[in-house]
Amino acid sequence: MIDPKRTGLVLALVVVWAATRALAQSCAMCGSSFGVDDPVQRAFSWSILFLMAAPYTLFGAVAGWLFYVHRRAGRRASVVELAWRRARVPAAEPGGQPT
Amino acid sequence: MRRRVVPPPPAEAPPVSNTRLAMIVLITGESMLFAGLIGMYLVFRLSARAWPPADLPRLPLGLTTLNTVVLLASAVPVARALGAIRRGESGSVARQVELTAVLGAVFLAVQGAEWTRLVRHGLTLGSGTYGASFYVLIGCHALHVLAAVTWLSIVALLARRGVYTRARHAALEMCAIYWYFVCGLWAVLFPLVYLY
Repeated sequence: MIDPKRTGLVLALVVVWAATRALAQSCAMCGSSFGVDDPVQRAFSWSILFLMAAPYTLFGAVAGWLFYVHRRAGRRASVVELAWRRARVPAAEPGGQPT
Repeated sequence: MRRRVVPPPPAEAPPVSNTRLAMIVLITGESMLFAGLIGMYLVFRLSARAWPPADLPRLPLGLTTLNTVVLLASAVPVARALGAIRRGESGSVARQVELTAVLGAVFLAVQGAEWTRLVRHGLTLGSGTYGASFYVLIGCHALHVLAAVTWLSIVALLARRGVYTRARHAALEMCAIYWYFVCGLWAVLFPLVYLY
């Protein structure tokens, strides 16, 4: 029986494999201006890929860190708030804690 | 029944202080500057048939490796200073920051001596893409180390005067973050330029 998930994955891999050459060129200029195994083309490709990845990596790292710090601070604030609310309720009342 | 008055929870400080946020913006900008320079280096390095060119001297690997150890080790005292001021022990802060500044100055002095030797052997800024990319990339990092050493010296002077306390030490923290950045950057540049 044909597994649709596996078939989809194999098809996707075939498409990516067929497109690797075009993807590796990074831009049309590099693909058309230099020869097939020209080191200059390879150098430009790697440099372009690196410079393309750098801002996304930096922005992602900073945004992720800010998100983590804010989330942690929010959790801590809610714990402090909860402790304060409980401390205000006398022990005799239902749900109250001794102060 | 007598109720004890419980004070409200203290107003929370923002999770990321403005100074730290400003430092992140500065470091992100600096990182993009170095990303551009590394991109330039990659183009020259990968497109060259021979690297370094046969008629130009090779970079001194042994001495620079030792110098790298010195620079990376310099991050330890500044981290200790930051830890001490956070615990409220301001006694050793100035000494630790001074030690970091001295190690940074040693790194710069060794780099300067290396450069003088390389220039004598014929590797100058005009020695093709090899010399130009080396001096621009490593020189830009050396300028950052120089700026950071100057900053550390000012922070050490202020620490000697007892300016920093447990509650008030943002300048020391920002200086430490910048020094970590400078050390981390060298950890990327050294393998790229000297080992690859």
